[in-house]
Amino acid sequence: MDLNFTPEELEFRAQIRNWVADNLPKEISHKVHNALRLSRDDVQRWAKILGKKGWHGWGWPKEFGGPGWNAIQRHLFEEECALAGAPRVMPFGPVMVAPVIMAFGSPEQQKRHLPGIMSGEVWWSQGYSEPGSGSDLASLKTRAERKGDYYIVNGQKTWTTMGQHGDWIFCLVRTSNEGKPQTGISFLLIDMKSAGITVRPIITIEGEHEVNEVFFDNVEVPVDNLVGEENKGWTYAKYLLAHERTNIADVNRSKRELERLKRIAKAEGVYDDARFRDEIAKLEVEVIALEMMVLRVLSAEKSGKQSLDVAGLLKIRGSEIQQRYSELMMLAAGPYAVPYLHDAMEAGWQGEYVGAAYTAPLAGTYFNLRKTTIYGGSNEVQRNIVAQTVLGS
Amino acid sequence: MDFDFTSDQESLRDAVRRWVDKGFGFEKRHGIAKAGGKTRAVYGELAELGLTGLAVPEAQGGMGFGAVDAMVVMEELGRGLVNAPYAQGALITPALLAAADAPLRDKWLPKIADASVLVVLAHQERAARYRLNHVTTKARQASGGWVIDGAKSIVPAGDEADAFIVPARTAGADADTQGIALFLVEKGAEGLGVRAYATQDGARAAELTLKGTPATLITADGLATLQRGVDVGIAAACAEAVGLMDKLVELTVEYMNTRKQFGVPIASFQALRHRIADVKMQLELGRSMSYFASLKLGEDAAARKRALSQAKVQLGNSMRFVAQQCLQLHGGIGMTDEYAGSHYFKRLTVLEMTFGDTMHHLGEISSTMHDTAGVFA
Repeated sequence: MDLNFTPEELEFRAQIRNWVADNLPKEISHKVHNALRLSRDDVQRWAKILGKKGWHGWGWPKEFGGPGWNAIQRHLFEEECALAGAPRVMPFGPVMVAPVIMAFGSPEQQKRHLPGIMSGEVWWSQGYSEPGSGSDLASLKTRAERKGDYYIVNGQKTWTTMGQHGDWIFCLVRTSNEGKPQTGISFLLIDMKSAGITVRPIITIEGEHEVNEVFFDNVEVPVDNLVGEENKGWTYAKYLLAHERTNIADVNRSKRELERLKRIAKAEGVYDDARFRDEIAKLEVEVIALEMMVLRVLSAEKSGKQSLDVAGLLKIRGSEIQQRYSELMMLAAGPYAVPYLHDAMEAGWQGEYVGAAYTAPLAGTYFNLRKTTIYGGSNEVQRNIVAQTVLGS
Repeated sequence: MDFDFTSDQESLRDAVRRWVDKGFGFEKRHGIAKAGGKTRAVYGELAELGLTGLAVPEAQGGMGFGAVDAMVVMEELGRGLVNAPYAQGALITPALLAAADAPLRDKWLPKIADASVLVVLAHQERAARYRLNHVTTKARQASGGWVIDGAKSIVPAGDEADAFIVPARTAGADADTQGIALFLVEKGAEGLGVRAYATQDGARAAELTLKGTPATLITADGLATLQRGVDVGIAAACAEAVGLMDKLVELTVEYMNTRKQFGVPIASFQALRHRIADVKMQLELGRSMSYFASLKLGEDAAARKRALSQAKVQLGNSMRFVAQQCLQLHGGIGMTDEYAGSHYFKRLTVLEMTFGDTMHHLGEISSTMHDTAGVFA
């Protein structure tokens, strides 16, 4: 047992750190470090920078053009990017749909889609949730009916993150009503420029446009865009979830934000208040404990000696921590979190701040991060899963 | 970075677990507790397994094993609810005596390794709470040696120990960090009073009074050495708690799957399922931070102390939550003396107050906070 990274791992990290320092545009990291609004261009610019280096699909194996890094290298890469203030890579392409295409897609699908995902050129969205299907995702109703060489898709997806920018969307659709709900679901890749698709914004609690409704009205989707076999989509979706391991904890970003919390608390004069600082201390312990749990999972993946079934715990704890740091930042600003200066979230805004520039986004971030215990399988669903594992019944 | 145990560590774990399974069942433990908590004989059995020499250097007849080996043993002793003063006698004391000069180490460590003597730390004082620098016990030189005046409290296995390691002040005011030295005081020394009693967790402790009691100087660098010994004790407490929680959760899961109410196993109720999921969370966070504690023992003093405080906060929260929730999930049976679960509850309760409780260590972290964050900060 050894807490330290190996010399090779440290060397790897140094290389990543240097590369990120040289290639991450300062105007983008400035926005991330200050929780300012990121444009589509910011996010895609970084995606393309990574793509040019062959790192936008940093978790990919070599045979599909990825770097072939192991679990610890992937973690170090994610950490260096997060600490440097890189924007979160939109996971829908490189982290979510790509592994499914690699595992279950046809050679033609792999050839067609993977290069665009790696390069960061093609923006992917996720079509899972529906108005009537949240935690009970398998109840989804969006239909795909086979007509010759096409599926005709009708229905509605919702909570489609950044779907307003989407070039493609991967969807779970119902292709059969026989048997259990899970057995009639298929995994379709849909060009968002197809006729009959309408994207409508949902303005969320903090006043931003992050998620959308996507309507499908007799959308023709070539049968070639079915991934794997018809009615096996649920299996692929579960594979995708299993593929998503430690990064759901988002611990690297939480470390960065914990440091920012300390800076804000100092600037607002509450750092010297023992009651407030004790709350930071509690959060600090929680972050370290979460990071240790992540490192245990990485070590288990590297050696293959232990099986650590803690993905649900990582999601629950990671999301609680994100909520807590944003809550404490807001409380540190106190009344100065109250003014709603929508334009102040733009970098380079020339208006007059109330309090300080850094206080402007704090309440909005707090509002926004309430989503973390709801999305990706609500924390209550995660507890069901954890309990199933613990109780074996 | 690697969190796997070596095959030697797995063998060590198996050996302790086999001994617990064969030789230290709950009935035996319960009997010892009811008879007042005398555990020197159990300590002797641990010596026969070779465990008491684990942390003693090979040069003094021990095995010279490391922190992770100690952690493995403590986890298993926790699982088995073993109430012998293993951490005190075999882990903390060797860490403290490492600061002694060679003749003193050569005199005591071989006997500690084979458990022919039990030497325990006697550092707590009535008004000190968990602050190690609060030392009112005084040491002075007299006729070529040292004598001590003062009192020490809640000394583990106090009437079963052969000697005590006693922090005493050679200079300065009650809370000064300077002027604290560590001394060795032998059982039966002149002016040494020992008033022993049972403890809530089925073991024993004692109040010591020292009146002109002769003592041998271990080190004048008392506070730093004491801090190191206490940090070893915190890591041991964390590991023991992990073992205790592991077993208590096992008992609880078994109970939930067999106990029926309203015609179904209580494990089918979602309120209880979410409770056990929360318990699992605290258990795994606790296990993670127990690893952290043991792996950070080799760091420099400031980083080590901070890390051990961070670990003790997590473990303190974990052990209280897991103990309380598992007791609740058992319903009435958990309240009974005859059921093992209630004894796990009591041991976990006592461990939170061992070597600094959660609030104390939170204060330590809070008052020495850094700008950086994370495991490697």
